Amino acid sequence: MIWLELAIMQRALIGCILAGLLTGLLGVFVVKIKLSSIGYCMSHGAFAGAALGVAMAVNPLTTAFMFSTITAFFIGPVADKARLHADVVTSIAFPLNMALAFVFLTLSPDVGLKSNVANVLWGSVLSISYYDLVYLISICAVTVALIFLFWKELFAIMFDRKLSEADGINTKPFIYFIIFLAGVVVTLSLKLVGGLLIFALLFNPASTALQFSHNIKRIVFVSPIVGAITCVSGLFVSLFLDLPVSSCIVLVSTLVFALAVLLSPKRRRKGGGVYAY
Amino acid sequence: MGEVIRLENVYTTYEGEKRPAIRNINLSVHSNEFIYVVGPNAAGKTTLLETINGLLPPSGGRVYVFDRDMRKNGRKIRCDIGYVPQDFIVDPGEPYTALDVVLMGMYGKIGILRRLDRRDFNKAMKIMRSLGVDELANQPMGKLSGGQQQKVMIARALAKEPKLLLLDEPFSNLDIDSQQRIPNFIEKLHEENDITIIIVTHHVDQVLKRCDRVVVINNGEIMADEKLTEGASPLKEFRRILRVEVPG
Repeated sequence: MIWLELAIMQRALIGCILAGLLTGLLGVFVVKIKLSSIGYCMSHGAFAGAALGVAMAVNPLTTAFMFSTITAFFIGPVADKARLHADVVTSIAFPLNMALAFVFLTLSPDVGLKSNVANVLWGSVLSISYYDLVYLISICAVTVALIFLFWKELFAIMFDRKLSEADGINTKPFIYFIIFLAGVVVTLSLKLVGGLLIFALLFNPASTALQFSHNIKRIVFVSPIVGAITCVSGLFVSLFLDLPVSSCIVLVSTLVFALAVLLSPKRRRKGGGVYAY
Repeated sequence: MGEVIRLENVYTTYEGEKRPAIRNINLSVHSNEFIYVVGPNAAGKTTLLETINGLLPPSGGRVYVFDRDMRKNGRKIRCDIGYVPQDFIVDPGEPYTALDVVLMGMYGKIGILRRLDRRDFNKAMKIMRSLGVDELANQPMGKLSGGQQQKVMIARALAKEPKLLLLDEPFSNLDIDSQQRIPNFIEKLHEENDITIIIVTHHVDQVLKRCDRVVVINNGEIMADEKLTEGASPLKEFRRILRVEVPG
């Protein structure tokens, strides 16, 4: 494993662990608050931002970050103002972002630069820089700290938003906070698996952990570990089989989820049938 | 007795609906009153409860609870209201224990950034014991029967020691034993505490002895609002007010 001594590989490995931990952790909240289309929306927001960056001849990742973050920032408030579920708003924003991306691409004079957009779409884990790791570590620390501080409110909202309101909890800021954080995390993890596959990292580890426990605290602890293990495994599989990293990460994570569904003790009941959830 | 709830010409209309679910509601409820709100299905009973606790904003009129305007102080007011929704059933796979659900009831009241302490846990366990669900504390909520979940939801509403308790069809999922035990518990709670209780039901055969007053609602309007005669049989009083046949 001499290649592990290469700085580029070390950065890729640390990036995989951090992004896996982060998306696995946040995924529990995204899944339980039923913000299922947020992953699609954020990633395509980032794609539109990258296309804008190419059109304006600036760093596509910077504009991807801005676009995705702005999209995340508006999903919650727009959903509430229009009295729509956030899922509906994200479903509208998703094709809108794609349409904008194609408009920006046609505005771009230099065809060659469009490969930068492809990097954002498909990911480029080996191009993770030292600064990317610093960003990932920072957002990891911020996410863990905020979840620790507001755990009881998030816990109650995951159980039922309406009941939380009935108990006097102001649920809106917490929903916005999860949406906004998901946007930031998705953008920072784009280099790992790219915009088209990033939502698998948000949903698969959380959905896997949910198959094995009735204890939400355990799920919040296990899901990031599942995320990190599947990311690292995907990286190694890709190195050994010489396949794209992003595809391998998603394939491993989907395989782990499928095994979890088959082996889940929660899905068995005495009569031999299975619960569907 | 101070006024706990005051509704002035209240209308509540659901999103996308033209016809208000409740209309021209005027209601005054005093401290420590025990009120039954009865009426057929879709009469507007649940809408009335959710308008009182501010979960549904009224499309017209004013709602005052504890002498404060619900529009301006909704969240603070709700910290002192216990609410048990109708038919709240948790899916079998949901990762929350019964104790988790009861403790959640206190979160709004203890406030942001503060943690639960040992006293809160003890209080939650005491309430669960009173309702006979303490042994289920660490069981997954979704694995409990409908009646057990109902009792956990009542315990959740009581955990924050509310001044006003709103119960929406609280006896609907209970087994025969609990149909006796839970009403007795609620009556005792009312007897020993300064708490105002409103129970919404369309089953008029489960009247509690302590009932002070009956509000009959139909088609979104209050059809009758009468105090029960002291010393008279609640069932007979119900029959008189509702002019319907009830057992007993």
